[in-house]
Amino acid sequence: MKLWTLSKKEAQDILGNKIYLLVVLVQVFIILGAFGLALATSVISDPALLDQYGITSNIKVGVTQDLQGSQLAKDLEAQKLKLVYYNNTQQANQFLGRQLAAVITISPQGEVQVQLDNANVFYQVASTKVRTAVNNFQTRRTLQSSGLASEKIKAIQEPVTLTEVPVAENQKVKIAMDSAYFVEIMYGFIMPFILLLPFFLASNIVTDSIVGERERKTFEVLLMTPLSSIMVVLGKIIPILTFSLIQSVAWIFLLDLLQVPIYNLFLMIIILFSMGLGFIGVGILISILVDSTKEANSAITLVLVFATFILFVPLFIKSGMFQGIINFIPTVLMVKIASSPVIRPEVMIYILPTIVISIAVFLFTVRSFKHERAIRL
Amino acid sequence: MMNFTTITRWEFKNTLKSRKFLLIFFLQISVLFLMIVVFNSFAANLESEKGLSITPSLTGFATLDVEDQGGLFSKRLNPEVLTIQNSTYNQGMARLANGNIGGFFAVPSNSVALIQNNDRVATILYLDYRDPKRSVIRQEVNNTNQILSSTLTSAYLDSLKSQNNTNQPGITEKTSGESLPLQIVRKVMLAVLLFLPLFLFGNLVIDSIVGEKERKTGEILMAMPLSSTDIILGKSVAVVLTMALQVAMWMIILLGAGFQLKNAAIVYMTVVLTALPIVGLTTIIAAYAKNYKEAGIGLSFAYIFIVGLLIVPLLAYLSRQSAAANISPMTLTMRLFSGETIAPVDILLSFAFILILSLLSYGISIKLFSRDDVVFGPRPGIIRLALELLGIKKRRVLK
Repeated sequence: MKLWTLSKKEAQDILGNKIYLLVVLVQVFIILGAFGLALATSVISDPALLDQYGITSNIKVGVTQDLQGSQLAKDLEAQKLKLVYYNNTQQANQFLGRQLAAVITISPQGEVQVQLDNANVFYQVASTKVRTAVNNFQTRRTLQSSGLASEKIKAIQEPVTLTEVPVAENQKVKIAMDSAYFVEIMYGFIMPFILLLPFFLASNIVTDSIVGERERKTFEVLLMTPLSSIMVVLGKIIPILTFSLIQSVAWIFLLDLLQVPIYNLFLMIIILFSMGLGFIGVGILISILVDSTKEANSAITLVLVFATFILFVPLFIKSGMFQGIINFIPTVLMVKIASSPVIRPEVMIYILPTIVISIAVFLFTVRSFKHERAIRL
Repeated sequence: MMNFTTITRWEFKNTLKSRKFLLIFFLQISVLFLMIVVFNSFAANLESEKGLSITPSLTGFATLDVEDQGGLFSKRLNPEVLTIQNSTYNQGMARLANGNIGGFFAVPSNSVALIQNNDRVATILYLDYRDPKRSVIRQEVNNTNQILSSTLTSAYLDSLKSQNNTNQPGITEKTSGESLPLQIVRKVMLAVLLFLPLFLFGNLVIDSIVGEKERKTGEILMAMPLSSTDIILGKSVAVVLTMALQVAMWMIILLGAGFQLKNAAIVYMTVVLTALPIVGLTTIIAAYAKNYKEAGIGLSFAYIFIVGLLIVPLLAYLSRQSAAANISPMTLTMRLFSGETIAPVDILLSFAFILILSLLSYGISIKLFSRDDVVFGPRPGIIRLALELLGIKKRRVLK
C-alpha cells in the first residue's frame, strides 16, 4: 500500500513533466522518419524495385542515331533504360552528367564505348543495368561469331535458371516492402533501436530521482517514511518502467501497423522488461552515487554512449570468432526473435544472461541505497 | 559615451576569461581532430571501390536448406546472412512446412554433368511466404545463381577465345564525375564542419541574456543609459566574434590537415556572416525564455530547423544543381571552397537571405527585449505576442 502511494506520486511527477511527454511524441516522428528513410533507400538501391515503381524510365542513356533499332539498343531497352538519340557522340556527351546517366556508342572498329556519370543519384542502378546490357550484347556477339545455334547461345548466356515456388502462399505475411535491404535494415537495426528508445529516455529521467531529492532537501523525509530500501527503489522503478514498457509495446503495435510484423510478443516483452530494469537500475544507481544533477547528467550520457556501443555495434560487425558472445547480446536476440515466426528453443538459453544481469543491477542498486541510507541516518 | 560596443567589450572579455569556456573551446578543437580522422577514413573507404555498406551484418538471420549433390551452389551461398543446412527433398520440404526454415533450394543432382555439357541447370527455390525474411533468402539465392552464371559464361567465352584466336572488338568503359556518396563525404561534411562552430555557442547567448534574468541583474542592465538595441546588438556581436575566432581556428586546422579550401577568405566571410542570423534567432529565444531549461528546449528545436534550412538546399544542389539552392549560404560556401565559378546573382541571393533573416530576427528580439512584460513577466503567450507584434491585437497595459 505504501509502495503504491510512492509509485503513484512518482507516476504523477513523470506525467506532469512536459518535456517527457514531448519526447514521447518526438519518438513517433523518429519512428515514422526511420521507416520512410528505410523505404526510400531500399527503392533507390534495388533495380527491381526501381523498375516496379517506374523510376527506371527516368534514367536516361544517350546513344547515337545509327544504333536505333540495333541489338545493343534492344539490350539496353530490355533493362528498362530510357534511350535518347543524338546525331553524334560529342552532342550526347554534352548532356552527360546533366540529363544523361551514361552515353553508349559503338566505334567504327566495333568497340562498345561506355561512359558513365558517377555523380548521378541512381548511379549504382544505372551502372549495373548498363553493364548488364552491354555484357549481354558482347557475349551474344562473340557466341554468334563462333557460329553457335541460338538455342545453345541462350543456354550459355544464362546457364542457371531459378524458379520460385511459394509455400503457404495463402498465409502470406504482409510486409511494407518485400525487399531484402528493407527487411535487413528494418529488423536488423531500426526495430531494436526504436524499441529501446523509451528505455534510453527512462534512464535519463531517473538520474535525478535520488540526487534530486537530495538537492531539494527531501531525501531525509523520504528516508524517514516507513518504507524499506527495496520498497523505495521499487517505488522509483515501477512507474517509469511501466511507462517505458507501455511505450515500447505501443511501438511494436505501430510497427505492426506499418506492416513490419513483430513475432513472439511474449518473449520480446521479457527481453524489453529485463533491459528496462537494467537501464533504469543503472540510472538510479548513478543518482545514488553522484553529488549533483549536473554530474548525474554527464555520467548517464557516458553510460548511454557505452551502452549504444555494446548494443548496436554487434549488429554491424562481421563476427566469426566473437559469434559465441554476440549471440547473447540482447539486441541480436531481439532481431532473431522478432523476425522469426518459429524460433528455435535454444534462444531461451541466450536470454538468460540478460535477465540475470538486469536482476543483478537491481539488487546492487538496492544495496547501494541501503548503504546511502545507513550513512544519512 | 556608452553604446553597444561597451557591452560587446564586457561580454567578450568575460567569455575569454572564463576557464570553462576555454575548456570547451579546446574540447571542440579536439573533437574536430577526431572528426577529421573519421571523415578521412570514410572517404578512403569509399574510394577503395569496396564502397560503404550500411547493411547490418547478421549471422544466421535467415535459414535455408539446400539439396545440392554437386556442391557448386551450396558453397557459394553467403553464410554471413544464411544459416545453410544440407538436406534431401523430403527432409527439406518437411522442415519448410513446419516453419523450421525459411526456404528450400533444390539443385538438380546432375548439375555438374549439365554444366560440362553446356546445358542449362534449372534450380528451384521453395520459399515460405509466412516468413517476412523471404526476400532476403530470395536475394541471396539469386546472387549465388548470378555469380555462378557469369563465371560459367566467361569460362566458356575464354575457352572459345583460345580455340578461335579471333580478334573480337571489346568494351571500353570510362567514368566521369565524383560519385554522390564521395561528394557527400568530401564536400558536405567539410561544409558541415565549417558551419559547426556556429551551433556550438548558442549557450553563450542564452547565458548572457537568460543569465541576466536568472541572476536578477537584468533590471540593472535595463536601468543603464543603453537602449535595448544596444544591449541585444552588443551581446550578439560578442558571440559572433567568439564564433569568428573559432571558425578561423577550425579553418587553419582543416587547411593544415590537407583539406582543399579554395577562396578561403570569402569562405570565411560567408560563414561568419551566417553567424549573424543564427545568433539573431537565438536571441529571440533568449529574450522570451524564462529560464535556462526553457531556452535549452527552444534552442534545440530552433537549431534543428536552422540546420535543415542550411543543409536541405545543399543536398538539393548536389543532386539537381538548381539555382534556388543557392539561398543557403552553406551551398555558396561549398561551391566557393570547391572552386566552382559562381554567377554574381547566386552570391547575391545567398547574402540577401542572410540580410533579410538578420534584420527580421534582430528586429523581433529587440522588440521583445524592450518589453518589460516579456523580460520580467507576467509573460504573454506566444500567439498573443505574435499578434501584437504584427499589430493585429493591441497590447494590454496594466494600470
